[in-house]
Amino acid sequence: MCETCGCGNPDEFKIHDHKNDHDHDHDHNHDHDHQHNHTHGHDHGHEHTHDGHTHAHPHKHDSSKVINLNMDILSENNRLAERNRGYFQGKHVLTLNLVSSPGSGKTTILEKTILDLIPSHKIFVIEGDQQTTRDADRIEKSGAPAIQINTGSGCHLDAKMIHLALQKMEVENHAILFIENVGNLVCPALFDLGEQKRVVVISVTEGDDKPMKYPYMFQSSHLCIINKTDLLPYVDFNVERAINYARQLNPNLEFILMSAKTGEGMAEWYKWLEERMTNDQ
Amino acid sequence: MHELSLAMEVIALAQREAAKNKVIAIREIVIEVGDLSGVEADAFQSALELLVRDTILEEALINLTRTPGKGKCSACNMEFEMNMRLDTCPKCGCFPSEISGGQEFRLVSMLG
Repeated sequence: MCETCGCGNPDEFKIHDHKNDHDHDHDHNHDHDHQHNHTHGHDHGHEHTHDGHTHAHPHKHDSSKVINLNMDILSENNRLAERNRGYFQGKHVLTLNLVSSPGSGKTTILEKTILDLIPSHKIFVIEGDQQTTRDADRIEKSGAPAIQINTGSGCHLDAKMIHLALQKMEVENHAILFIENVGNLVCPALFDLGEQKRVVVISVTEGDDKPMKYPYMFQSSHLCIINKTDLLPYVDFNVERAINYARQLNPNLEFILMSAKTGEGMAEWYKWLEERMTNDQ
Repeated sequence: MHELSLAMEVIALAQREAAKNKVIAIREIVIEVGDLSGVEADAFQSALELLVRDTILEEALINLTRTPGKGKCSACNMEFEMNMRLDTCPKCGCFPSEISGGQEFRLVSMLG
């Protein structure tokens, strides 16, 4: 039987478009207008009976066709990111996307965090690097399950990579998931991974004007960790100036001064994490 | 460097939409790149030109339209052309300004 109108027998009818052979009669006794502004082939074998009316078929038969799309090019990534976000929310997993230049100390911060929090928290890590599993190996030694994504020539993680990584690593409910992005302050800014919060790390061995140079990243982040504060006496980094620059770009950005080496600021960081976890419950 | 993966994304989108519309080759593709979108238009164009070989876009004219950045002053509401995110208001000199245009990165249309 025809799936749309109930006519015919099942073997003759499959899809109800005009390319199928229809073996039934239509009586067209009604008045209607057709607006055909698309092109299609007339190779079907059914009969029309036109009783007393005419209608025009303004068909375009040249081969050009304009496809209007008006489509956000990042929409596919954003769609997958929302899916990831829903997955995290459903499992009450606090997911953080850690971004920074190479060498700011992200992995060391994570190692320290895992050692301190693993007795009381479930922690999982997704590591993004162009090559090697060195970071994931370091993290696993600290005691948290980690999965490494190698982006090859790619300069950032995207939502699809996270989606695939999550199929390989079962993240437990009520856990914290750290995603350590590829060390790069430019490209990862554009790619939502589905995280709840984005954390940008800068170290005092970098210039204090970094926020001005890489505004997209500082504008899209929620927390800025200024790391390696134990080196402040030896470098020209002006903490106040860096904070001012970043606040100009993003008035809501929060800051934690940290030295993963000496432990300064770690308690504040753990408090920040706890607050985010509590908010989620 | 993310322009390369964005170009790949555009090719994938173009292939998907062309298939939906039963078009086998694209003659022209129109892409809008805002000056404050975070996408470097020239790098993106080079990446796309490099990657279209053996794809549905191989023969396509790549038509990149640029949208200038626009800002709205948070103090006096003045709207002005914003070339960089850190531009101050030309009228009152205040900062920051809200970005009100130029963040677009869109596949506008294709001619098949």
